[in-house]
Amino acid sequence: MKKILDNISLYLSFLKISLKEILIYRLDCIVGIISQLIVQAVSLIFIFIVFQNTENIAGWNFRQILLLYGVTRIAIGISGYCFDGLYDIGPKYMQNGEFDKILLRPVHPLISIIGASREFVSLADFFIGLGITIYMLIELSIPITILLVVKIIFFSVIGALIIGAINTIFSISSFWTYKSNEVIWSFYNIYAFAEYPIDIYNRFIKILITLILPFAFVAYYPTMDYLGLNNYMLYLSPFIAIILWIIAVKLWNIALNKYRSTGT
Amino acid sequence: MPIIEVKNLVKQYKIIEKQDGLLGYFKNLIKPQYKKIIAVNNINFEIKEGELVGYIGENGAGKSTTIKMLTGLLTPTSGKIVVNGLIPNEKRIQNNKNIGAVFGQKTQLWWDLPVIESFRLIKKIFKIPENEYRKNLKRFTEILDLEDLLDKQVKNLSLGQKMRCEIAATFLHNPKIVYLDEPTIGLDVFVKENIRKFIKEINKEKKTTVILTTHDLKDIEDVCDRIILLDRGQIIYDGEKQKFKDIYGKYTLAEIIVSSKNLSVKDKLQSNVFEIIEENEKEMKIKFKHDETTIVKIMNDISEYCVIEDIHMRESELEDILKEIYKGAYKNGANNDSIRKNAIKKI
Ligand SMILES: Nc1ncnc2c1ncn2[C@@H]1O[C@H](COP(=O)(O)OP(=O)(O)OP(=O)(O)O)[C@@H](O)[C@H]1O
Ligand SMILES: [Mg+2]
Repeated sequence: MKKILDNISLYLSFLKISLKEILIYRLDCIVGIISQLIVQAVSLIFIFIVFQNTENIAGWNFRQILLLYGVTRIAIGISGYCFDGLYDIGPKYMQNGEFDKILLRPVHPLISIIGASREFVSLADFFIGLGITIYMLIELSIPITILLVVKIIFFSVIGALIIGAINTIFSISSFWTYKSNEVIWSFYNIYAFAEYPIDIYNRFIKILITLILPFAFVAYYPTMDYLGLNNYMLYLSPFIAIILWIIAVKLWNIALNKYRSTGT
Repeated sequence: MPIIEVKNLVKQYKIIEKQDGLLGYFKNLIKPQYKKIIAVNNINFEIKEGELVGYIGENGAGKSTTIKMLTGLLTPTSGKIVVNGLIPNEKRIQNNKNIGAVFGQKTQLWWDLPVIESFRLIKKIFKIPENEYRKNLKRFTEILDLEDLLDKQVKNLSLGQKMRCEIAATFLHNPKIVYLDEPTIGLDVFVKENIRKFIKEINKEKKTTVILTTHDLKDIEDVCDRIILLDRGQIIYDGEKQKFKDIYGKYTLAEIIVSSKNLSVKDKLQSNVFEIIEENEKEMKIKFKHDETTIVKIMNDISEYCVIEDIHMRESELEDILKEIYKGAYKNGANNDSIRKNAIKKI
């Protein structure tokens, strides 16, 4: 337990340092945040257009969909910032031998890598998501109780952890491609799936996003719960997060050992 | 008990042999042909705590490969490594607490931040106690003259400044063992001297074991007590530096500036007490031992063939000895293995 706390505290120190580094480039930050806002605006306009032609999607009305959108953005915002370091392992560490440097530290290299996250602009995602979520809770006259707030915080963090674990697994390809992780990027787009009720998808996709890539746990099940639609799947999500992380770290270690024996 | 123990260590790299042309490309894709490179070929050594070891050899001899295995960055193909009671490859993270390492010009410092911030983070990563950190920082700042650098961003430092900070960062957590793989590459004489002085002082104070690879033999001359000489993956000498020089023979090198010379003196003058290493129109390089002849006698012999204008003399250095060992091998193409071995036997 102490080891885990140590690791988390070290991760936060790394994150603090990367934040300091990124803040040096103030202009980059501002440009990044503005472009993020534009991307968000486009997604929202898309949802508006869809609802011009239909009353509801899979039984969800406009406000409920927006709530789902907000909840998704919170989780993606957190993971986007906290696990951004996983995207560019290839160019950042493998290509130039920088990886050796983090292998020489007395901590697991994953701590150093995710601690080097710099995607500060994802926080824009987070705040937009938070704003929309609060607004829609009020619009839907859902009472904002302390329990609800705790739930939202808890399940958003769990959602972010699930995305983080999936990204960790996909980051493994960087050991050999030396490139930034296109796979993870394309997954970022797939997360958009999470913004719609899974009922609208056919059976195959439903299984895919619940079981294989458990996106439904990121936002869909939590939102159902906030809407008062009972579902027990939600309470599986902490276990899913833990299991996914165990799998991710195990796979990562196997890849690391393989990498260390080839020396390239 | 030795702090580092290496037994029958082998590292073999497998690389894909590229085949030419489109057909070759597809062949590679379907059934790649692997080529094996034996970078480290069955080496053995033991290092005691507090030793300063120079690990030397030509380019591609396998020095970096060995260091990478010792640090646990690379898995050995076979053989055994024990460092401070741990097998680095298996207990890498634990082993990292006891070691420090510098690889060429790569830096472990955070590029965009002031040096001191990197030091603070290293303190946290290695859990260095506050008082120890302060003491080391003060001492290192003093020896390496870091005072004015600590508040500067790493990216704004010159190579020499960066390397001084890098060395300080490496020793900050009082590592028991430090591996330095070409730490002085590209540095000017003053920085080199500064770094050598630092290594020596810390070694004296803290009994830090240091393994140093370098192509600047002055580093070895100045810092190390022991030499391990690696040649194409195999150790061909392991022992005291002084012995290496003594046994091979302390000799004197004389550079003689001559004029009115029009034939090869080497062909005319056969002597078994001195050797003409190089000669051209204006200059001759001669090697001899003081107990066998004197420079006066040599000048006497040579002056039959030319006019001597000037003369410089110096004692042989490590570099001269190694040059001869390497040269002996290259000159004689086909037989180079046996020749090189003979050269070593002479030692
Ligand atoms: N990752 C790798 N894959 C394949 N071959 C490699 C790899 N790294 C090193 N080699 C080969 O192994 C041999 C030893 O290399 P190494 O880097 O250990 O030499 P070195 O003694 O450090 O040389 P230098 O003085 O140039 O730094 C060389 O022939 C090199 O080409
Ligand atoms: Mg090398």
